[in-house]
Amino acid sequence: MCAHLIVTLRAVLLAAVLGLGWIAAPAVAAGEQPGNNADVYRAVRDGTAQSITFTAPADRMLIQSEGQTWRQWRNGPITQIGGWVLAGVFVALVLFRLIRGKIKLEGPPTGRLIQRFTTAERMTHWTVALSFTLLALTGLTLLFGKHVVIPLIGYSAFSWLAALAKNVHNFVGPLFFVATLVMAAMFARDNVWQAIDALWIRKAGGLLSGEHVPSWRFNFGEKTWFWIGVVCLGLLVGITGLVLDFPGYGQIRQDMQLAHILHASGALVFMALSLGHIYIGSIGMEGALESMKTGYVDETWAKEHHEYWYREAKNAGTAAPAAPTAARPSAAH
Amino acid sequence: MARMKFLCDTERCIECNGCVTACKNEHEVPWGIQRRRVVTINDGVIGQEKSMSVACMHCSDAPCMAVCPVDVFYRTEDGVVLHDKDACIGCGYCFYACPFGAPQFPQTGTFGQRGKMDKCTFCAGGPEADGSDAEFEKYGKNRLAEGKLPLCAEMCSTKALLAGDGTALADIFRERVVRRGGSGAEMIGWNTAYGGGEQKRQQTRGGDK
Repeated sequence: MCAHLIVTLRAVLLAAVLGLGWIAAPAVAAGEQPGNNADVYRAVRDGTAQSITFTAPADRMLIQSEGQTWRQWRNGPITQIGGWVLAGVFVALVLFRLIRGKIKLEGPPTGRLIQRFTTAERMTHWTVALSFTLLALTGLTLLFGKHVVIPLIGYSAFSWLAALAKNVHNFVGPLFFVATLVMAAMFARDNVWQAIDALWIRKAGGLLSGEHVPSWRFNFGEKTWFWIGVVCLGLLVGITGLVLDFPGYGQIRQDMQLAHILHASGALVFMALSLGHIYIGSIGMEGALESMKTGYVDETWAKEHHEYWYREAKNAGTAAPAAPTAARPSAAH
Repeated sequence: MARMKFLCDTERCIECNGCVTACKNEHEVPWGIQRRRVVTINDGVIGQEKSMSVACMHCSDAPCMAVCPVDVFYRTEDGVVLHDKDACIGCGYCFYACPFGAPQFPQTGTFGQRGKMDKCTFCAGGPEADGSDAEFEKYGKNRLAEGKLPLCAEMCSTKALLAGDGTALADIFRERVVRRGGSGAEMIGWNTAYGGGEQKRQQTRGGDK
């Protein structure tokens, strides 16, 4: 049942993705001419398994046509569009910074702190964040290094760097996948869409106007990053990454080509989105980094950015001791 | 300068696997790797069996070369596609891209630990000094440097597998086709490896290097 499903899925996905680059077999004179094997050799290109006396590590095919399609996807749109998308998002963030500046607190800090993230949440987040960064940098090295790094440091030095990048990528990948699953489970409940999110969408989060839109623990922007980024893209790159990282479980070359196309394009979109998250979570907004570093935010920050959550937290009495000096050591361990 | 090519005449190949054995023995190819293999189409169908020996075809527009993230592939003056094992990181991209299943890896381990890629060198060794021990250790014999052609073709008992200058091979094959009749469309693999109309179309579409 499961195997049958996989075979069907494989056929459908291959037809959908690789089929886009399908090129019709060249028209060759065939028919009834004696000694003309054109029909046989046209059939060779349809991927049928053939007989091989020895079991070669390669698949039982004479010619696998899908390799050319994979090459065109990887060297074409993935490298080119992917590169421009990343550069475009970076430029957009620089422009946002120049126009909007750092998002500061409007009111004076009260000095009273509220716990926003538990220690477990923060440790999970930083595991994901650190492994994501390593995977992004090493992945980019493997995709763009040939064009960008080899001209800078030379062929031999880059080979050493790329070998390191590949191994870091392959060993850190599974850690990222597991940590992402844990993080998705931890934050799923507070990322469920709520009625107030409509207001955030209507006002575009107040990102350009500077207006504060009330929200519960996470606003619609954070929820979008959570569902599209962490959950969908995290699972996509995680699962396709495992297909590529552990090749001994029956996957054939075509599965790995498909997995690689999904992995690389998913990862590039993931990275593009992550730039926005990393910016607003670090230098883009006052108090944001502290909340993930220490787990605590000032009441003013909570009230301005997550008003409903602030009121709820206040009532539930999760507020930390008044003095910041008392709260920080307990959050630091 | 010659443009080295392989040609396998399917009307002559008897699936004896002599080429495979000769190659493995000559180069002391690592266990589990077969630089050449014999594929039989329509196996068991009387009168329709076609066998063919296939290895790296040393393509003009080599997919392995195009996708290698560390640029280890290079082409010799004879049109032979070789690679530098020292710089190979074992990512497997050449294996995904190659139409002929030529690139192979000594390991299939977890975490993508494949070892260095190995493939047919057209008996032309690698970047090390011609005929050196280091070259033999990594790539096998360098017969071309000694003025000899690839052993698989030299050993072929029915002369189905031919290796050498493309022009000379085409002449031999044309003569055979004329003698036995037929259109010659069975020169399978050449269009893929050496570029026919189909490949040119793909190149202009793909826009990669």
